[in-house]
Amino acid sequence: MSGFTDRAEAALADPILKIAVERTAGTAEAKRGIAIDAFPDFEAARSRAAAIKDHVIAHLGAYLEQFEANAIAAGAKVHWARTADEACAIVIAICKAEGAKSVARSKSMLGEEIGLPHALAEAGIGRVETDLAEHIIQLADERPSHIIWPAMHKTRDQVSALFKAKHRSPHQEETIAAMAESARRELRTQMLNADVGMSGANFLIADSGAVCTVTNEGNAELSLVPPRVHIVTAGIEKIVPSMPHAIHMLRMLARSATGAALTQYTTFYTGPKRAGDRDGPDAMHIVLVDNGRTKMREEGLAEMLRCIRCGACMNHCVVFRQIGGHAYGGTYPGPMGAVLTPVLDGLAPNRDLIHACTLNGKCQEVCPVRIPLPTLLKGWRDKSWREGLEPTSMRAGLGLWAWIATRPSLYRPVTTIAMRVMRLLGKKGWIASLPLAGGWTRHRDMPRPAAQTFMTQYKKARRP
Amino acid sequence: MSARDAILARLKGPSPDQAEADALLVAPERPAVNEATLEAEFLARLALPSVNASHDVVGSMADLPTAIARYLAGQGEALTLCLPPDPRLTACDWGGFTLHDSAAPDEAAVLAIARRGIAETGSLIFETGPTAPMLPNFLALHHIVLLAVRDIAPHLENAPLTGPQPRAHYWVTGVSGTTDIEGAYVRGAHGPRFLHVILLRN
Amino acid sequence: MTRTVALFVTCLVDLIRPRIGFAAIRALEAAGCDVVVPERQTCCGQPALNSGDRDHAAALAKQTIVALEPYEAIIVPSGSCAGTIRCHYPEIFEHDAHWLSRAQAVAGKTWEVMAYLDQVCGWKPKGVTLDAKATYHDSCSGLRELGIKAQPRRLLKAIDGLTFAPLAGEETCCGFGGAFCVKYPAISNAIVGEKADAIDATGADLLLAGDLGCLMNMAGKLHRRGSKVRAYHAIELIAGMGDGPAIGEEA
Repeated sequence: MSGFTDRAEAALADPILKIAVERTAGTAEAKRGIAIDAFPDFEAARSRAAAIKDHVIAHLGAYLEQFEANAIAAGAKVHWARTADEACAIVIAICKAEGAKSVARSKSMLGEEIGLPHALAEAGIGRVETDLAEHIIQLADERPSHIIWPAMHKTRDQVSALFKAKHRSPHQEETIAAMAESARRELRTQMLNADVGMSGANFLIADSGAVCTVTNEGNAELSLVPPRVHIVTAGIEKIVPSMPHAIHMLRMLARSATGAALTQYTTFYTGPKRAGDRDGPDAMHIVLVDNGRTKMREEGLAEMLRCIRCGACMNHCVVFRQIGGHAYGGTYPGPMGAVLTPVLDGLAPNRDLIHACTLNGKCQEVCPVRIPLPTLLKGWRDKSWREGLEPTSMRAGLGLWAWIATRPSLYRPVTTIAMRVMRLLGKKGWIASLPLAGGWTRHRDMPRPAAQTFMTQYKKARRP
Repeated sequence: MSARDAILARLKGPSPDQAEADALLVAPERPAVNEATLEAEFLARLALPSVNASHDVVGSMADLPTAIARYLAGQGEALTLCLPPDPRLTACDWGGFTLHDSAAPDEAAVLAIARRGIAETGSLIFETGPTAPMLPNFLALHHIVLLAVRDIAPHLENAPLTGPQPRAHYWVTGVSGTTDIEGAYVRGAHGPRFLHVILLRN
Repeated sequence: MTRTVALFVTCLVDLIRPRIGFAAIRALEAAGCDVVVPERQTCCGQPALNSGDRDHAAALAKQTIVALEPYEAIIVPSGSCAGTIRCHYPEIFEHDAHWLSRAQAVAGKTWEVMAYLDQVCGWKPKGVTLDAKATYHDSCSGLRELGIKAQPRRLLKAIDGLTFAPLAGEETCCGFGGAFCVKYPAISNAIVGEKADAIDATGADLLLAGDLGCLMNMAGKLHRRGSKVRAYHAIELIAGMGDGPAIGEEA
């Protein structure tokens, strides 16, 4: 049994997780539906969003250089990292050069992707996650289970116990509002006293050098305004040409993620504090991270670079809805995670992710940037087959079946015999247990095949 | 080869055509806004549960302190206000108020002027500058925003400044909220729990 | 004008439930078509294609193209097999100009049976009566690759006595997914379990859909848990064969 299968079966056996996933993804699905119905021509808007991203990806080098020049002109320092390790090393070096002892971090999936929390810990730099869900995850020493709601798998009782154990003045009353208030008290002083504020970027605006973050909690702004230094780590695909392009993407992002028209707080940061400004950091560093993205562009996964990390694909995925995010085992779960994880962590150990999909197409239907996720997953399956990663039993089975199926005159008698044998295993129309198809009959019955195949019956009926 | 050069070498290609980028912006799909009734449209968005802001109307700047006193009294708050050093605000008569120009960690109320209101979303648009700090707007429990009716614009495309950008350009579309614990909505996760907009007619 | 159409039976219908093939023929003939069943057809290759086995998928696609290309139209009683021919055959041969043009020609005239009857023939069943309450599941490939949604409903509405109970989550995958259901049985079971709950909750007598794979999955689950709901391919009812044995019932 693979790690994935074990994790998935553990998740299926967890009734609390099931409730949590339904509540989170089910609510998101319903609210998105209402928002999309109220939006004029969302299908055309999806095409436009995909076209904007494709335009950027086609000219990515030029737009990155434009962004870099404008960010530098605004006073930011721009760094480039080929890999996760390079990115972390750059961030740690900046922290050390600044003598930073504490970091306030606003939720960033790229930060998770490159292992920034771990790198900061190794460097002995204190880190406080300021998004409420990431704060819960940090206290529990876990990994996010959803890219929008990282702590959706935690119950209020678990959160209460965590806060009581770790907060300096925890809540007294057992209400969610009181727990949130406890986190507000705990995190506020830490954000105000941090040396460095860290964020990802939802968008990088090429023609101004601005970095855009969106939050509903306002924790990004509280994490990024008080500290002396603001460090951004952003995937190179986050570029858009200009503000109006970003505006279109923002309209798509919030509706697809939560069903809202916009997030509560949307901020564009251009360089550090200006002369006369009353607040803001003295220095702003932007680390542009490749970590497999140029390779994706070169190797048939360019469409995946359209992804704006809204989470709609996982909220609408029948598999994710059953097993939640942790079962996927990577930074990104759900359909987009199944496509990305083999890029980031290798195909061979993640073969299950590309197969644990019914190819039903719902994720593609809801994707705000029209990523053909099932096609990309099938592309991984092709590669896995080509590279000999698929199990011998599978290869032999499919090979034998295809050998017969490409010989119709052999196929007819062979299938006729096979169906006769199969019929012997059933009674009253159903087969309750079928050798070689235990995965089917463990959970459901198999209809007994007809006494004669269609082709046999048809030929008989047509014989004069 | 530096990381920069290595990455850019793999991304070589034609420079983007400005016309092609512009063509992607023609007639964007967006919520319809009736430009004849911008104020009503804006207020309707402001009242949506997702934005959840209250509002008041004043006829002139002279009426602003009274309106704020009325709001704070209604909230059971003292007449204490974090006031940015904007001459338009400092020119008002703040008699009876305790004012400070920087926010304490537990600041109760802050006043700020929005440069624009956006009817499409009920958003308030701000920039940082010497008379416009950012932090107080995220620290205070009550975020009170002055917005001139003439500054309400229909769409988000009307929000950005042209030309050189300030350190921060930001859009506020409601109060600090979270659904991170069991999906339950809680106001005031980190920042303001209340958003109160005072519209200035004239 | 009589149309000569080729029926692509599909391997599942051929082996498990031939009635669906005969129902398709009956309905097509009622709609004025001459139906031919080309001899050298087996499977469209979808299992190989979805497993990453491109070589065998291409071999089966070539065999199928050769068998089907002489005909005016190709009719398939399955959304996913029709989708494979219509949407994916051209992809398989994207780098092979000769086979690409042949694949495109076949793709362009391949139809799911209910879509063909409704959209092309403009036909409706006449004089068909069945007193029953049915619920309909939209199989994913037909729905999302071929846009099959209104067509079966229009045809089924012409059956006298047949009433409908809407299925909550009618567009949600049933968890079949071809090899998926045997590779990841526990996940598939959880999905089809919820689908069976939704079907039972409709209070319908009959479950209808347009893909035998999905129907076998749902009917098999319903039967295992003792549900009274009986499952048919929608074309069986449309062809006036809804009084015969349901999936898993002996004739």
